Amino acid sequence: MVGTSTLRIAWRNLWRNGRRTALAVSAIGLSVTLVLAYDGILRAYGDWILATLTGPMLGHVQAHAPVWRQDRAVDRTLGHASRTVETLRRDPEVASASARVYAPALAALAEEGFAVLVVGVDEAAEARPLRLLAGVSKPLGDRRVLMGRPLAELMGVREGDQIALVGQGADGSLANDLFTVAALLETPVDLVNRQGVIMDLAEAQTLFALSDEAHEVVIHARDPARVKALAARLAALPELAGAEVLDWQALAPEMLSMVELLRVAGIFVLVLVFLAAAAGVANTMLMSTFERTHELGMLLALGVKPARIARIILAESIALGLSGALLGAALGIGLVALTHQTGIDYAALTGGGPSAISFGGLRWSLVLHPTLAAADVVRAVAAVVVTAILAALWPALRAARLQPARALRE
Amino acid sequence: MQAMLLSLVLAGPAATPPDVQALLRRLDDLYRSKSSIARIEILATNPRATRSLRLKAWTRGEEQVLVVIEAPPREVGTATLRVGENLWNYLPRIARTIRVPPSMMLGSWMGTDFTNDDLVKESSLRKDFTTRVDRRSESPPGWWLALEVKPEVVGRWARIEILVSDGDLPVEERHFDRKGRLARTMRFDEVKLLGGRRVPSHIVLTPADTEGQKTEMRYLEVQFDVPISDDTFSLSRLEQNR
Repeated sequence: MVGTSTLRIAWRNLWRNGRRTALAVSAIGLSVTLVLAYDGILRAYGDWILATLTGPMLGHVQAHAPVWRQDRAVDRTLGHASRTVETLRRDPEVASASARVYAPALAALAEEGFAVLVVGVDEAAEARPLRLLAGVSKPLGDRRVLMGRPLAELMGVREGDQIALVGQGADGSLANDLFTVAALLETPVDLVNRQGVIMDLAEAQTLFALSDEAHEVVIHARDPARVKALAARLAALPELAGAEVLDWQALAPEMLSMVELLRVAGIFVLVLVFLAAAAGVANTMLMSTFERTHELGMLLALGVKPARIARIILAESIALGLSGALLGAALGIGLVALTHQTGIDYAALTGGGPSAISFGGLRWSLVLHPTLAAADVVRAVAAVVVTAILAALWPALRAARLQPARALRE
Repeated sequence: MQAMLLSLVLAGPAATPPDVQALLRRLDDLYRSKSSIARIEILATNPRATRSLRLKAWTRGEEQVLVVIEAPPREVGTATLRVGENLWNYLPRIARTIRVPPSMMLGSWMGTDFTNDDLVKESSLRKDFTTRVDRRSESPPGWWLALEVKPEVVGRWARIEILVSDGDLPVEERHFDRKGRLARTMRFDEVKLLGGRRVPSHIVLTPADTEGQKTEMRYLEVQFDVPISDDTFSLSRLEQNR
């Protein structure tokens, strides 16, 4: 449709007024850069919410015995937990899977009892980065447990102390034993810090009279964007027959709305860049066609078809928009890449406030790591090009409809 | 007309509302007297499992209770001591005595539908509630008492209804929570002569919200007003030779 000669002519025309074109290109470039930087931060927010929410405690998908989430009865468990976890770990879309046991108990250093929540975990799985026990190096097992630091401070427990744990076993019997607090723990999860006693899974099963059972199987997906399909597929596994399998969106709907909000914010900003690019392109193209009325009239008089004139102007506009968009994309990608590694420390930006905030029962670090997806870049560039075409329609039509005789007189 | 008069006369004595305070005192005292020693069997049932316990319980006055588990073997010697508002559990397996914190008061007592709170609060009906005769019950013949919690009292129940038979024995108790919902029902039956008193020997506690769950309590033997030494209700005794 548009020949190379048209493109060559359009490109040459564009740089006849170099300063104006450079100005338009940089305006478009700047707005694209800003959009990409903003996209990068939005994406960082989204990832940050998802990672904080699903990383340590929730996971992307959870399986429980039905009704357990309502009454948390110790005897509502998933059977053959180790086989289930083994099967899940072999699934190509599952990044990690681990079983947990939860049981309320009374903990006491001396005579005074305190309400705690015993969490039996697979330490190897939970000690990975971003997981519940990330960075914990003290081994569990051998009747060693970890205790949330605020809980320990409340109870007056120090590392190495021996505590008694008393609870109710799955068979209704009294669960009680002595454990040594190997280390005090600060996890991103408030509940665990304030009430948690972390125990080796097998020891928790023994203490609470459970066999190879678990209250919860937590699954992290390789691709968090596809958890719905993953949850549906895993629910159909024979190992999870009869279990309640839910993705994090069903488990934490209030957090989902936060993520949705970010998506809306992204679209809003895209509309802004549309407007900025449209103004830049339309202005430049209108000016340049008005200036060239005489010249365009001459071309028409010489027999150049109006359609070709329109194509040239359209090509100029697209070239202008694309130059700006590509420049902006390069700058935007560079900016995000620069901040991705180090992250943006909100605490430092606000002048040495707290390094983390508590919200929704979770501890949120205030360092964001901007990232971009290819889709963000393509979307921004495409938006500018589409805008350039729309903005050039009127100047192109006007040029094509010029009366050669009248145009030549200008 | 004559028939009406006759029926009024016949219904007369039974239809006289009872003296509420006297009745409550009697109910409070029924299983306890000044002091008591009882052997009790408890059967806790939920849809998935059944569990039985045998206990020996000592009480003295309104404030002192000691319960020691005698069976099953795995839990022999496990004890609960109540003195006033305080509750301790003694666990022989780890040889520890642990005070139950206020936050655990509503937790299950030894895996039954009774709560720790039930052990502590059982004597405070007269103190914490205003009581009136609510309505007549025909079958069984008796009176429904309505107990409304006093505004300044912080507790689990907003209202308790007790059906007392004309023989002055409890038949049924309904506990309503702070939102006015029926939370659980206790039924008293199998009236027997225990320690020289006629009392219902079998109590069934049914929580309203959980299908197929209940706890049954059966008094096997009771001795009333026997001397019990002071140190029975002490921590040191709790930890000794149980």
